[in-house]
Amino acid sequence: MTADEARTPVEDTKALFFELAANRDPAVRDRLVTAHLGLAHQLARRYANRGEPYEDLVQVASLAIVKSVDRFDPGRGVEFTTFATRTVIGELKRHFRDKGWAVRAPRRVQELYLELGKVTESLAQELGRSPTVGELAATTGASEEAVLEALEAGQGYRTSSIDATDRNEETLASHIGTEDASLDTVEDRELLAPALAQLAPREQLILQLRFSQGLTQSEIATRVGISQMHVSRLLAASLERLRKSVSASESRSPSDGEEHESNARSALGRR
Amino acid sequence: MVDGKTTTVSVDLSIPVQADLVVLARLTAATVAGRAGFGVEDIEDLRLAVEELCLSLVCSREDGRLHLTYECEDDSITVDCSYEAAGGESGTPGRDADDLSLRILDALVDEHGRDVRDGRPSAWLCKRRAAATA
Repeated sequence: MTADEARTPVEDTKALFFELAANRDPAVRDRLVTAHLGLAHQLARRYANRGEPYEDLVQVASLAIVKSVDRFDPGRGVEFTTFATRTVIGELKRHFRDKGWAVRAPRRVQELYLELGKVTESLAQELGRSPTVGELAATTGASEEAVLEALEAGQGYRTSSIDATDRNEETLASHIGTEDASLDTVEDRELLAPALAQLAPREQLILQLRFSQGLTQSEIATRVGISQMHVSRLLAASLERLRKSVSASESRSPSDGEEHESNARSALGRR
Repeated sequence: MVDGKTTTVSVDLSIPVQADLVVLARLTAATVAGRAGFGVEDIEDLRLAVEELCLSLVCSREDGRLHLTYECEDDSITVDCSYEAAGGESGTPGRDADDLSLRILDALVDEHGRDVRDGRPSAWLCKRRAAATA
């Protein structure tokens, strides 16, 4: 929860929502969105390390907060955070589904998972409800067990190959837009680039693997050929050097250390 | 263990506290719900909720076991989960689930709760089948 949110008691939030409903004042809307961005970060962090960059999850969750603020009806007696959590989780689920929340799974499972995404959507429209496992099995020609296996695989903790093809020879990548999600961090990258360049190549690689690719310390240890403890120490030392370097370069402008760390993490694409 | 074949199904599962075994808790939930004809959206919610339920009990513990019971009736599934400390000792009741866990469960299931049973921290949830929207 952000400090802003902590300063916004439930009563104040409710009053602001009534004000927003009455006036549609953009300033009130901004205030409500900003006050609840902490929830977006918390939920994005909860579902990180599943193959999607943390920054992307934060974006999805933050947009869901905006959507929640726009749609929330304060007269319904539900707390905003409950409503917003439901919306954010829904959007994150959709994001993972669209991007292939997957997996070190056999190719046949990946293919079925991709096909299930499409079939689920069309059946849901046709039936006016979420299809059952039996209906998905009947439509795809797979067994119910295979459907369950594929759905579970879709919630794995490692990403599938983005180029895995479905049965129509379309790649998952072809379903994904081309917007560059890293645009938002260009400024941070600019700020960090000189500091990063001063690090040893191995330290740069470790930071990249940890924050850009989301590998665990153990996975990095295996990849680089050193112990997990060593990875941990190198990460801590590298972050400290980045923090000091950025602080020094920005000492002319008012900013706090927490923001530097946030910039560093943001620029590296992970929390 | 599966009891009954008509409207009530009860499945018991016991797993060591290990991150890579939580998949069994999720998969069992999905299988029971899928067998009962729940929609995939409900199944996804249930799977995330069961994971959250387990995490909320385990907190930062790295040993012991989780005991889960899945009960499925016509239109609802109840999952009960309790934590047993290593060596069968009474588990120290875990700290209260954090706010986020409670919010996530609020968002995903119809009812949920926590208590301490026989000295073991326990938590449960209930997910009802969503009504058709058209």
